[in-house]
Amino acid sequence: MPFEIPLFIRSVPILLEGLTITLILSILAILLSAFWGVILLLSMRAGKFSNAFARVYIEIMRNTPIIVIMFFMFFGSGVIGFPLSGFIAGLLSLVLQNGAYVAEIYRAGIQGVSNRQTEAGLALGFMPKRTFLLIILPQAIRKVIAPLGTQGVMIIKDTAIVATISVAEMTFQARLLADRTAAVFEIFTALAIIYIVLTSIFNLGIRVIERKYGYKN
Amino acid sequence: MELIINSIPLLFKGLQNTIIMSLVATLLATVLGILFAFIQIFSHFFIKAVVEVLLYLIRGVPLLVLLFMMYYSLLYSGLQVDPLIGGSVVIGVYFAAFMSEVFRGGILSIAKGQWEAGYALGLRTHQVVGSILIYQALRIIGAPFINTVIMIIKGTSLVAIIGVTELTFVGRQIVERTLEPFLIFSLVALIYIVMCYSLSLLAQHLERKIGYVN
Repeated sequence: MPFEIPLFIRSVPILLEGLTITLILSILAILLSAFWGVILLLSMRAGKFSNAFARVYIEIMRNTPIIVIMFFMFFGSGVIGFPLSGFIAGLLSLVLQNGAYVAEIYRAGIQGVSNRQTEAGLALGFMPKRTFLLIILPQAIRKVIAPLGTQGVMIIKDTAIVATISVAEMTFQARLLADRTAAVFEIFTALAIIYIVLTSIFNLGIRVIERKYGYKN
Repeated sequence: MELIINSIPLLFKGLQNTIIMSLVATLLATVLGILFAFIQIFSHFFIKAVVEVLLYLIRGVPLLVLLFMMYYSLLYSGLQVDPLIGGSVVIGVYFAAFMSEVFRGGILSIAKGQWEAGYALGLRTHQVVGSILIYQALRIIGAPFINTVIMIIKGTSLVAIIGVTELTFVGRQIVERTLEPFLIFSLVALIYIVMCYSLSLLAQHLERKIGYVN
């Protein structure tokens, strides 16, 4: 099977048709996961009961494959007579799972700030809440930039999986094209390259932010 | 209730393939991961650059895309390869790119003094690695290694899309016949959670028991 460059080039614009949906899905999923992670973090800090609840939720989400969550949402919502579109079901699944990962990243970031910082804040006469807000949190935010970036790349890559619940994003388009043309190697190579470009741009952005605001020893 | 009792033997049949694929992929990812890690640390500039670029490219692509690429390429090239085997190999190679980071991080995080001590005692590089560093590295690597294995187990669920009868695939088949998605997919999820969570408990245990205290 020789690699035919014209086929490769011709498949790119068709794949780019799906890029819009991939991009919208990625951006929404990343933003909402970051937000959902904050809520989970708050409930972990709110009290014993809500902490236990959040922990169970996080473990369930982290230990279930994303595709099972998507199937659960997509096919489940159809059966109870409240059908979600593939896009909404996929977005919801991505946010539910990655929010759990992000909450763990936040927690680790806060834990990673030395205890002495809290002690110093209290010794200087700050109230515990203000110690957290003014001293711990700014340092924790700097620490979570890099792991959040890694998680963002995971989210971008996981958007490919919504192709299985018939959302017409890039991977879905590639599959359609592959079924029609048999130029499979060219098509999927083009698809892979687009994903690499996408994740590279994202990585670059994270690195710029990290260089500017990240934690320096 | 009856549905659960009837589904469980079917799901367990699918589970067998999930476990086989996870084991094969883990083995492959570990062997290749160690190899890549050593190349990245010890080899000469050119090979190192090639491997690093390759791993970067692999890490930037969704696993599903690689699985499709393998599946369709085999389909059209006429090679008779069981998607179960093909899937295991793709997953193994894919996660080797992540494993190599685990091993590289483990080896590099060992204090430089250990290297120098080894050399000062007159050992060669492979002797320093084999008799000093490896034991320290294993303590650091334990937990992240298990986390990657959990990612591998979850990754095998994607092979359902290319028609391997593993756990997720069987779950979906049962749903198509019974129209009970909540119940069946909850069962499927539960099986994954039991597998992955017990591994992650093991990771926590390892970290407490033999973890590297710094």
